[in-house]
Amino acid sequence: MIHTHEKQSMLSQGILIFIYLAVLTGLEFFVAISFNSVPLLLVVALIKAVLVVYYYMHVYQLNADGGEDENSYEYKSGTNRLGLWLFLISDAFVFAGLMVVRVNLLGLTRPHLNQTLGLAVTAVLLISSFFMNRGETLMKNGDRKGFLNNTLITFLMGLGFLIGVVFVEWRLAAHEGLTPSSGTAGAVFYMMTGMHAFHVLTGLIFLGVVLVNGRRGLYDEKHYPVEAAAVYWHFVDVVWIFFYPALYLIGTALLA
Amino acid sequence: MRNRNPVLTGLLLLVTGGAIGYGIGLGIDSLNSGILDWAGSVPSAFALLFAVTSFFLGVYGYRGITRGLVYQVLGTLIGGFIVTGIRVAMGLEPFGAFFFTEPAWVFGALVGDVSFLFGVGVVSDWVKWARGIDTPEHHEDEPGWGKYLGVSLDHKVIGIQYTVTALVLISVGGLFALIFRTELAASQLQFLTTTFRLFNQNGPQLYNSLMSLHGMIMIVSILLGISGIMNYVVPLLLGAADMAFPRMNAFAYWVSVPASVLLLMSLVLGGFDTGWTGYPPLSARAPVGVQMFFLGVFTAGWSSILGSLNIIATVIRMRAKGMTAMRLPIFVWASVATSIIALTATQLIGLSFQLVMFQRLLGMGFFDAAKGGNPVLFQHLFWFYSHPAVYVFILPGLGVISELLPVFVRKPLFGYRWVAMSSMGIALVGFLVWAHHMFTSGMNEYLRVPFMYSTLLVAVPTGVKFFSWVATIWGGKITTPTPMLFVLGGIVVFLLGGLTGPPNATVSTDLHLHDTYFIVGHFHDTIFGGFVFPFFAALYYWYPKAVGRRMNEFWGKVHFWMMTPSFFVLTFGMMRVGLLGMRRRIADYDPALGFDLSHLVMTIAGYLIGLSVLIFIINFFRSMKHGEKAEGNLWNSRSPEWQVPSPMPAHNYAVPFVVVGEPYDYGLPGSKYVEFVHDPEHDFHPESTAHPKMKAH
Amino acid sequence: MRHFVVVGILVVVAAVLTYLGLAAVGLMPVAASAQAGPIDWLWNLEIMTISFLFALIVVPLTYSLIVFRRKQGDTTDAEHVEGNTNLEITWTIIPLFIVMVFAYLGAGNLAEIRRVSPEAMVVKVTGIQWSWKFEYPAYGVTTTELHVPEGKQVLLQMTSNDVIHSFWVPEFRVKQDLVPGRITELRFTPTLVGNYKVRCAEICGTSHAYMESPVVVATQGDFDTWMAEQVQLAKEAAATPEGRGQALVVANGCAACHSTTGAPGIGPTWFGLFEHEVELADGSVVIADEAYIHESIKAPQAKIVAGFENQLMPTYGFTDEQIDDIIAYIKTLR
Repeated sequence: MIHTHEKQSMLSQGILIFIYLAVLTGLEFFVAISFNSVPLLLVVALIKAVLVVYYYMHVYQLNADGGEDENSYEYKSGTNRLGLWLFLISDAFVFAGLMVVRVNLLGLTRPHLNQTLGLAVTAVLLISSFFMNRGETLMKNGDRKGFLNNTLITFLMGLGFLIGVVFVEWRLAAHEGLTPSSGTAGAVFYMMTGMHAFHVLTGLIFLGVVLVNGRRGLYDEKHYPVEAAAVYWHFVDVVWIFFYPALYLIGTALLA
Repeated sequence: MRNRNPVLTGLLLLVTGGAIGYGIGLGIDSLNSGILDWAGSVPSAFALLFAVTSFFLGVYGYRGITRGLVYQVLGTLIGGFIVTGIRVAMGLEPFGAFFFTEPAWVFGALVGDVSFLFGVGVVSDWVKWARGIDTPEHHEDEPGWGKYLGVSLDHKVIGIQYTVTALVLISVGGLFALIFRTELAASQLQFLTTTFRLFNQNGPQLYNSLMSLHGMIMIVSILLGISGIMNYVVPLLLGAADMAFPRMNAFAYWVSVPASVLLLMSLVLGGFDTGWTGYPPLSARAPVGVQMFFLGVFTAGWSSILGSLNIIATVIRMRAKGMTAMRLPIFVWASVATSIIALTATQLIGLSFQLVMFQRLLGMGFFDAAKGGNPVLFQHLFWFYSHPAVYVFILPGLGVISELLPVFVRKPLFGYRWVAMSSMGIALVGFLVWAHHMFTSGMNEYLRVPFMYSTLLVAVPTGVKFFSWVATIWGGKITTPTPMLFVLGGIVVFLLGGLTGPPNATVSTDLHLHDTYFIVGHFHDTIFGGFVFPFFAALYYWYPKAVGRRMNEFWGKVHFWMMTPSFFVLTFGMMRVGLLGMRRRIADYDPALGFDLSHLVMTIAGYLIGLSVLIFIINFFRSMKHGEKAEGNLWNSRSPEWQVPSPMPAHNYAVPFVVVGEPYDYGLPGSKYVEFVHDPEHDFHPESTAHPKMKAH
Repeated sequence: MRHFVVVGILVVVAAVLTYLGLAAVGLMPVAASAQAGPIDWLWNLEIMTISFLFALIVVPLTYSLIVFRRKQGDTTDAEHVEGNTNLEITWTIIPLFIVMVFAYLGAGNLAEIRRVSPEAMVVKVTGIQWSWKFEYPAYGVTTTELHVPEGKQVLLQMTSNDVIHSFWVPEFRVKQDLVPGRITELRFTPTLVGNYKVRCAEICGTSHAYMESPVVVATQGDFDTWMAEQVQLAKEAAATPEGRGQALVVANGCAACHSTTGAPGIGPTWFGLFEHEVELADGSVVIADEAYIHESIKAPQAKIVAGFENQLMPTYGFTDEQIDDIIAYIKTLR
């Protein structure tokens, strides 16, 4: 599947990638419920991540150096793009470290969590990435209204994810006895979801800023901030692509 | 008051402000605890914060760093009271032994951290952008030294800010060392006794706090020192007008000031006894000072990460035409290798400390055996950063050695490509060795062997550097002004450090050496050889470029000849007593071990090293006004920054250069490295708003 | 070239002198375990290599500084030598080979010092801030001193009650951390009769410097005698309250903070404590009677003695009878 800059095909591609992601998520859930194969779950997560990193985060754009003129907006955006990816690589190490903590402390067990809720918040986040991709594509093609609408949906869905995790999932888990201090399962669960939620929150702030400024037409010509907000948002999604199976699907559930 | 001496005013206000703070703290503390603890933590904490802030108020007025510090103090108090208020609402105990409870101190310190950044003004452009307001590409700095105490976007100013802050921290860390080295000079406790009390600690506890902070303050000074050199020099070497992200550059610098305040607060708020490594369970039960330590390190980590990001982006995006990878100055290769490590691995020390912080605050049992946690997990996370970190410490310095040798021997750097690749090789292998710090930890016994292999492997790229240096020097035409003395000293001292590595790498011998003064000697050798000596070399070398005057040669040589033999005596002494049974991190040792004389000698050596650094600092500041003028290519270097007059113009290269040859082709007739080519589109015209090599947002 | 020959000779001479110098200084403590043999052998090999490599770099460096000094007035550059690929490959491959040899030798060395003797005497070691406790399960004896017979392997099974500690006797060479929540093992075979000390080698708090215990390597006969005495003492102690109390004190490391001699420490001394006046941190004065001591053990933060603020005594799960025994023991300290 080659990348293309034509608006309609980009939008169609966005839809197609989302369908792949949705199917893979369903597959993931099914695999976990039926035969709990850790290698298979890892492979599925990896494929989902690659899809998001390549198509939604368009990592290949790092190659386009923005031309010869170092004073041009394109060149400067290229430098910004590199800076953002370097930042994300650095941030990825935090989440990788948390995965190491999870594996070391919990091994092939996992906390006992509400599967419906887990699947629901995961779906919400994935769908939000879909709308983010639409919004970014539309802005790049000059459609401010489309960009605003789709980004607003992204924002609301992100907010929904945050509420779903922090105000519903955490409450539910605590009620069942899974608290930060109840043991290693609790400590791991709250730290992983907490760090991720913190990044969702900063992502929402970023989206909020971009929405407000976008309404004033700031990005009609110079789109980079929209791209940056989108790429950051997708990164947060990629982290969840790994955290979701790590917390909800892999291993046998510990009774609280 | 026009001609008031700012330093005197600052000192006067430091004393006054400190006294006021002390009084406020004493009052608050006595209301809370019912007793007057004259040397207690709360009065001392307030005294420290008020004194530092007042000092800068006197020197600089209410702006820049001063306003930052005021915001930090206020932010800390506000944050602390917010948590205290929440605790009251929840029916919890509102106050603790140190007035605020631990959660209040942690949240307050965090709010203070962030408030500083708003106060100093380093986030104001970004806030404007978030509000949709555009800002000019670059700000003009005020003339004179004032610009160093406020936000500047000029990488040269930032480089100097980093360097001076590093020198301040070296002095503080060194002072702590002299205090505990004085105690160690004779066996049994002389003044840090169990009946001595300061900052809510007795003598041995204070020893542990000073020892721990000596380590971490020195580490932060190294990170700032290398950032200082890299930020100043890398854009000049690349032909760029500035770093890729000037505002982030300023941010990465300014973040180190609240970080340093937090580290000092840790001493005063009850101290902590874990060493700079902060292992739980000990760190989980240490006094609240350990939280200030954790937060201070966390904050300093942001500086390291963002600074490295900037270096990498600058090297990739802002090079002069013709500067291909194999024509990069060798110091740039070293900076890139360093930055790759610092960008990625640093997050792991942040994570490891964060987990202990939350174990303390919320009872999250990551490392608590009683809750099923794993103390050794901390060590894995911690050392995954802290081993590569030592390569962060030394790679820039080794790059300085490689960069300066050709200039002073008038010969090319031998095997440039191999030297460049050796930096990357060290960085890569450096990620694979961390558990050699854990051979006795109780980790899986069989894992020790692969880590022994990988650790010994690092010797290979390191060896390439040594052999290349010898081959560069061999057959050259050598002169030894002060920078070259420090380069040579660095080589020999780092050699000693490197050679004492393999006995630590082989597991069986390490079982004897681990946690002894042998290790202390080993890492002081590697750190002095890889950082301290090259740092001084770089400062003596590039000082004329920054200032237009050179540092005094005589006192430079005094510095070198006082520091170097003393340092050998110190580290040989350390290794000797370590082998014979002297453990690390102890305030006292058994007189029957017979170490008294060795320790006395080491303490004297320590004082001489301290004196030599003092001489350097005086030379550094005095030469700014009184140094011999040096406005041209003082060292006759081929490097581009020396082809333009000193001090370096504000926007670096008015006429950009193109790379037309190899960087180190000394001895090749007619060869040039760079040529300055007028480029109407890209020449810098002061009156225009377009800016050559315009920085990205 | 002449230069290379001269330097070559100087390198060899310098290497030998350096090695001899280091050997003469006597770098290691006396070797008192079977493990020390292989470790000292490897260490010696490493010292030889270090001496050689040190000379290999420093001699040409120093030689160059003298012979290749720039002459006065000479402003020309030196010879344009960029590199030599063969040399680079050589000085990459040879060190690579050397380090791999050392790693291989190191692995063998490690295996040698970890050799298991099935008849090893088991001693359970517990590290407590800031004292050592040694239990001999085969004899039912608990002591604060480690006594071992010469020539027989000892298997230490170690854990910590609080923070990480580390067991190290320099003369035995080997070292192992004590980690809360797990049992770590260390094997050594003492080979030289004598009196040694084990000192904690992992920072463990305020009194880390003083966390030490005697280690006595005795002949088999002397060890048996000592053990018989210990068994007898344990039997006698179990019969009296103060004996039982003292055993509890040993088992829980109280003496690390509370001296029995009147010497100052982390906590108040027990010498002469019973029925003595005690000044508290809040200024009030109480008598150290049985009720006071009982409360101080059960709830250590209830009454803080003046001068010992912020010394956080841990709580212990003692029964009331156990506390009575401890008080009986404290009563004997006058």
